[in-house]
Amino acid sequence: MDWGDVNLRRYSKHAKPVLVFALLVLFAAWECEVSLADLANGLRKGLMMINLFFPPDWQAFARMVQPALATVAVAALATPIGAVCAVVFGLAGASNIAPRWLRFTTRSLIALERGIPEIVLLLILVAAFGMGAFAGVIALVIGSIGMLGKLVADAIEEIDARTVDSVECVGATRAQVIRYAVLPQVFPSLVANTMFRFEVNIRASVLLGAVGAGGIGYELTVAINQLEYRKATVAAIVSLALVFLAERGSDILRSRMVAAERLQ
Amino acid sequence: MSTAPLQVPQTVMPSVIFRRRTVTIVAGVSITGVALAMLSVNPFEFIRDFHFVVNLVSQMLPPNLELLWRKTSIWSSLVQTVAMAFLATLGGAAIAFLFALLAATNTTPSQVARFAVRLILTTERCTPNIVVLLVLLIAVGIGPFAAMLSLLVGSIGMFGKLFADAIEQVDIGPVESTAASGASRLQILRYAVLPQVAPSIVANVFYAFDVNLRAAVALGVFGGGGIGFELNVARSVLRYRDMLACLLVIIVMINLMERIADHVRRRIFALETELK
Repeated sequence: MDWGDVNLRRYSKHAKPVLVFALLVLFAAWECEVSLADLANGLRKGLMMINLFFPPDWQAFARMVQPALATVAVAALATPIGAVCAVVFGLAGASNIAPRWLRFTTRSLIALERGIPEIVLLLILVAAFGMGAFAGVIALVIGSIGMLGKLVADAIEEIDARTVDSVECVGATRAQVIRYAVLPQVFPSLVANTMFRFEVNIRASVLLGAVGAGGIGYELTVAINQLEYRKATVAAIVSLALVFLAERGSDILRSRMVAAERLQ
Repeated sequence: MSTAPLQVPQTVMPSVIFRRRTVTIVAGVSITGVALAMLSVNPFEFIRDFHFVVNLVSQMLPPNLELLWRKTSIWSSLVQTVAMAFLATLGGAAIAFLFALLAATNTTPSQVARFAVRLILTTERCTPNIVVLLVLLIAVGIGPFAAMLSLLVGSIGMFGKLFADAIEQVDIGPVESTAASGASRLQILRYAVLPQVAPSIVANVFYAFDVNLRAAVALGVFGGGGIGFELNVARSVLRYRDMLACLLVIIVMINLMERIADHVRRRIFALETELK
């Protein structure tokens, strides 16, 4: 007769969290207007629509190459610029380099940047500079600074202080200390993070294109809006390939860098 | 007989570091140049057109904070955005766990299933969110449900691989001892595998919630509902002061959710150590 009691006591501890959790899920589902009928309907419609999307219209492929390269170019331009700016922000945001007021200002700026999704930045920049790749590049540069700046600042705060001391001892100026004692220590992690960011920027660049930064994302939305679904399939496949290649490429480069470092 | 002094050939060899540096700089400059030419972007435009930015900022200030109490739909759309991220993260994690069991070498029932699931996960991970959303918008219709589903699909791709890797690294000892005491396959999962992967699952779920929250704002812009939609509406009718108010609300919301998630995570980990 005891088992029911024991079980109850064992599980009653979890009852409150589970209940709260279930209520939260129900509330969220209600907020998102989840409906299984819509889902079933969507699935049926989706299966029917597959016919519209296939076979891909490969003739459009030739017209997709230029936009695809533009998407890559936006990321390729934004990533190094962002990395260089991130070093400046990182130096200004590290407690062992910058005075307290500067560190505080920089850190809050970086945190602010990370709080704003790139797409929102782009919407603002498009309002200022008009549609086009330029606004996209700047949006991604700012986004890259937000991520890399924090990583660089954190890395600088953790560098070996003895190196800095010894370079200072031989009479180096502040700039020389940074050049010969600080930067070499954070450089490897910066390069690895920059490559990762390039991958992120390619994804973001596809997304930004859809809002007006041009490139493959733009082609995709235009094709869907004009109901040219078979063309849209080609655009989707191309953007998938871009992301895949970027992921592979940065993986390979990173592992090669790690191998090169081990040799040294 | 005179011997010529030994001549050491003096070739000027650039050092490895110098050569590597030159290659890097040349490659960097040429890539930048090609990219600039291809996009026909003039970097000085940024300075020349900077007055546009100043102009825009002056139009945005001061933020129209009256909006917060005059237009109550802001609050409900804010809650909607959070709800989208929350539900997508949970649903994604649950489905991804099932996928991960199929995709991990040590728990998969068959190699064919393992290969198929890995293929699906890779494809999903590579598909940009926007592609999924555009397709779902047509299938399910405009609204938060479509955005939530597309976030969910993205989360499955992200989680699936991470969970599968975590399951593959499980310590075999507990699994074998549970099996030796006559546990069924399901019981092995429950008592030997799950306890080992739970910490990494929890950590990843919180990370994904953070990512999904930002993505939920972004997808709103494309017709996924929520606060991103409000922001885009304010922009397209050129009410920049309303737009800045929305932006401030978004920033506060993301920071607040980060804090709450941090708090909950700390509570969960405290509970776990207590149980041990």
